[in-house]
Amino acid sequence: MATRIAVRNLRLCTKDCLCLYVCPTGATDTENSIIDTEKCLGCGVCADACPGGAISMVPLDYPPQQKKEEAVVGRAKMLARSKASQEQTARQLAESAGTDGLYRLLKAVEKSVRLVNEDLLREAGYMLPQSANTHALLQALIEAPPVGFPVEAARELLTRIPCNEPTATTK
Amino acid sequence: MQKWICGICGYIYDEAKADIPFADLPDSWVCPLCRAPKSAFSPEKAPAPARAPQTPPAPIEEQRELSAGELSAVCSNLARGCEKQYKDREAALFRELADFFAAGAPPVENPDLDGLIALIRQDLEEGYPALNGAAVAASDRGTQRICVWGEKVTRMLDSLLTRYRSEGEAFLKNTQVWVCTVCGFVYVGNTPSEICPVCKVPAWKFEKIEGRA
Repeated sequence: MATRIAVRNLRLCTKDCLCLYVCPTGATDTENSIIDTEKCLGCGVCADACPGGAISMVPLDYPPQQKKEEAVVGRAKMLARSKASQEQTARQLAESAGTDGLYRLLKAVEKSVRLVNEDLLREAGYMLPQSANTHALLQALIEAPPVGFPVEAARELLTRIPCNEPTATTK
Repeated sequence: MQKWICGICGYIYDEAKADIPFADLPDSWVCPLCRAPKSAFSPEKAPAPARAPQTPPAPIEEQRELSAGELSAVCSNLARGCEKQYKDREAALFRELADFFAAGAPPVENPDLDGLIALIRQDLEEGYPALNGAAVAASDRGTQRICVWGEKVTRMLDSLLTRYRSEGEAFLKNTQVWVCTVCGFVYVGNTPSEICPVCKVPAWKFEKIEGRA
């Protein structure tokens, strides 16, 4: 059973083709340059041979994410709420902007604030899709979905991404 | 003779090598590297500002439900997490959830530029110091890192919106606006710097913001 798969970074690949020569299954030789994960055995010979360092071995399983102190998470979430209202304000102001400069500036603010908020929430306990926090969130949304919530998407996520730590409310 | 350091990117304005003392630079002067405003600079080896015993930060709110806007950011963050793990299908599903919550976020009543700037300043004055204080106390370096990045990005937003408010469209005429797709740093200028002044990724990670189609 493979525990990792080879992934090629196209920005680094200089087409030295060593990976084609060494791959025992032909997984690296594809029309779109993306290594075929179905064929990849995870042996790593391609990554070792690549002179450009363009292939990395990505694990299939991840360790549990770092635990976070409640005092930190609480303050991060307060900041996250502020960021969410800034993003929404910028989005609305961009929609109603009458000039090109203002429109572009507010679109930039909207994107910027979203990126900062993603980072905040990542550090506030939602780093890994495999985490117990992520699973608990998806489970809660499935059990009491807001109107129109795509329940099937959430269910599919729970099936496709196994949880990698014990959950408080294991069912 | 004094050296002045940019609080965003670390650029050094060395009065010994410059023609103009820092104080005599016009207020419209910006950092040559990251275009941060003059006010983002501080003198080198400034004695650490004697921190008055801080007023205790606002108590943490009770455990509460995440708002739609926050849930959208949680889900788009998890979509990124899946992308980095090369899980394309899962990333698309998380994006679907993120879009659902973004569309359902309740509108802000009577939004205006002043209100937006006020929210941003509140983060700089209260939100970041409180979070960073908690992160230092917990030796949580990951959270200290987002405070460093987030505060710089936020300070830049404050300065850009404030400039727009006073200069209007002339500020951005024939000028591009770029966003670093990793940390959110906004750069106003025709080509982004070689590396992001905040998170140090290469220039190709910047996205140019297009006008209305």
